[in-house]
Amino acid sequence: MTQSALTRPDALDPPPPAPAGTARRRRGQGVAYLFLSPWIVGAALLTIGPMVASLYLSFTDYDLFDSPEWVGFDNYATMFTGDERFWHAAWTTTEYVLLSVPLKLALALAVALLLNRPRRGVGLYRSAFYAPSLLGASVSVALAWRALFSTDGTVDEVLAGLGIDTGGWVDQPRYALLTLVALAAWQFGAPMVIFLAGLKQVPRELYEAAAIDGAGPARRLFGITLPMLSPVILFNLVLETINAFQAFTGAFVVSSGRGGPSDSTLLYPLYLYQRGFTDFRMGYASAMAWVLLVVVAALTALVFRSSRRWVFYAGEDR
Amino acid sequence: MGRMSRRAAGLLVGLLSASAALAGCGSDSADGPVTLRFVWWGNEDRAKVTREAVEEFRRRNPDIRVETEYSGYDAYFQKLSTQVAGGAGPDLLQLDRATLGEYAGRNVLAALDEYVGKALKVDRISPDLLEGGKVDGKQYAVAGGATTQVLVFDPTHFEAAGARVPTAAGERWTWAEFADAMAKVGAAGTVAGTTDFGWAVDWFEVWLRQHGKRLYTAEGGLGFTAEDLTRYWESIGALRAGRGATPAEVTTKMDGSVQNSGIVTRQAASEIGYDSTVTGYFGAFGTGLKLAPLPSDVAETGMAALPPVSFAVARRSEHKEAAVKLLDFLLNDPAAGKLLGASRGVPPNEEIRAQVCAAAEGGTKAVCDYEEAQKDKIGPAFGAWPTGASAIKRDFQRTYDDVIFGRVGAADAARRVIQDAEKSLGS
Repeated sequence: MTQSALTRPDALDPPPPAPAGTARRRRGQGVAYLFLSPWIVGAALLTIGPMVASLYLSFTDYDLFDSPEWVGFDNYATMFTGDERFWHAAWTTTEYVLLSVPLKLALALAVALLLNRPRRGVGLYRSAFYAPSLLGASVSVALAWRALFSTDGTVDEVLAGLGIDTGGWVDQPRYALLTLVALAAWQFGAPMVIFLAGLKQVPRELYEAAAIDGAGPARRLFGITLPMLSPVILFNLVLETINAFQAFTGAFVVSSGRGGPSDSTLLYPLYLYQRGFTDFRMGYASAMAWVLLVVVAALTALVFRSSRRWVFYAGEDR
Repeated sequence: MGRMSRRAAGLLVGLLSASAALAGCGSDSADGPVTLRFVWWGNEDRAKVTREAVEEFRRRNPDIRVETEYSGYDAYFQKLSTQVAGGAGPDLLQLDRATLGEYAGRNVLAALDEYVGKALKVDRISPDLLEGGKVDGKQYAVAGGATTQVLVFDPTHFEAAGARVPTAAGERWTWAEFADAMAKVGAAGTVAGTTDFGWAVDWFEVWLRQHGKRLYTAEGGLGFTAEDLTRYWESIGALRAGRGATPAEVTTKMDGSVQNSGIVTRQAASEIGYDSTVTGYFGAFGTGLKLAPLPSDVAETGMAALPPVSFAVARRSEHKEAAVKLLDFLLNDPAAGKLLGASRGVPPNEEIRAQVCAAAEGGTKAVCDYEEAQKDKIGPAFGAWPTGASAIKRDFQRTYDDVIFGRVGAADAARRVIQDAEKSLGS
């Protein structure tokens, strides 16, 4: 995701003409397909096939055990008109995305800026900040999180020691979602590494020129760093938004799969899971999955559209 | 896109068919030794004794191989539904009351009537208990044990607060006396009187029976009204207000498991549960717990002999005879009974129960004594719950969360429970 190759005019030159003799080209293609075949087989069997199946299932009433029954748009109609929890889950997830994505990106960027300076032990710090993300959305981290933030857990005890009595955060509807947001934000390592790579790409001479013109650190950040980094910000924003909409593990573990307390952590994928695997309404769950796909695709398209206004590629005239 | 060379195309087809063959795991052929899959949920102790019993079965039936698998309750049902749907389900499986109707109603289980009295002997199992394994008049499951409702309590808190709990045979108490005792313990200040029990349909079912109602009618409809539930929840609300019951942030974590229970986490001095989990309580809490019956204002206690778990055979099983043979062994063989002990409640077979109880100690002895003392208060089983029961159980708890966190009044919440339940029963 660097900004140069894509926008250099010469990168858009037509490819060299194909060699004469179609037979040779055919053979070349056969070899290409041969090498692609593991991916093609995997995609067909593990991605495209199941997707088509789930699209079909979304128009059926399917309880996992009996054969699916065609019901047309019933699932979609129920979802939008007769299911309060669907809207609640949609709103909970929206809240989660709106809170966790900006926070995570801001943290990632802040730490990347700090780690971009040549200091002693900088490699150690980079590794340390990246470590939580290596653990990923794993169950063990979520379990640790639950232990930290439950009633009489570590956080509760420490705060009580300071005279602040909040009780356990994961056990209270007001705070439970915030603990999940904190969990997401804490795993900022992946966007941080990408930001770091982006920062390395910013030409030094721009800073030198700015310094000669008397620009302070803030001016340098807003005038040079952020604009030069904007394609990377776009990349991270799109990726993290898509990820946040699909967040499941943390909520599932922290609430023992229930989305509680009082449905405050009922993220959309968790509700989808409940409909499919505990209520045996797999058709409905498939329909929910497709609604999520369409919404996330639309939002991603919107972000890309807006990017024309704020993403700056080096080499563009502004 | 140019056309693929014939060789590459052939190779692709080959790869596709090979992976398709890999994806559809072959089922074992009927000749040679039979392999059974037997799955259950439960803790390590249960797994250990069940495996020992299965080993004993293998020694006597060398031509039957048995693969066992177990996990925690939630994980168990997550795996089970996907495996059954994928055609890789087990032959012999364990279900509870919420899930029996769910699986029987969805055509997953084999009716066992043709085996009953022949390969599957049930003459030593009480008809009441057998009733709990029937759905629409057919025997889809057999109780793997017997249990009844119980109040587990830590007497030290009650003695300190000067509150009395009846434990002797024939003693009873009313809801007012119960509330008074819990409030006294709560007022004494260290822990709440009892774990708030409003979240589980199971205890509401007991209360309903004391009031001449049912949780589910025989036809599989709802047997109570929003007014009933409102009254019930409001009475517990009064208890909670004075620390007679645990606060919301403790209650919301309840899932019926021993490790999360209010009494084991030292948040409450007592807890309503099933006596099949008492051995677990004793193990996790240490000694010193005692058992008392549930309160009631009328002659009907609402307590019943229930199957804590049932065993069922999958309809798609290719070895139903072998699965029934294993089931019969687990239920009726003295050696198996001795090994299994009270790991799934007291044994359902009365002869074996007498043997196990005669040799019992610790938690098992406490359960045997309790069942003996309360014998005349324990009524017949309630019958299986209908399809949709597991969703109703979950929605009930979720709505109660809203009540205890003060987000909605008991009356509105009760109306919502009825609405959701009707939807679940209709699904």
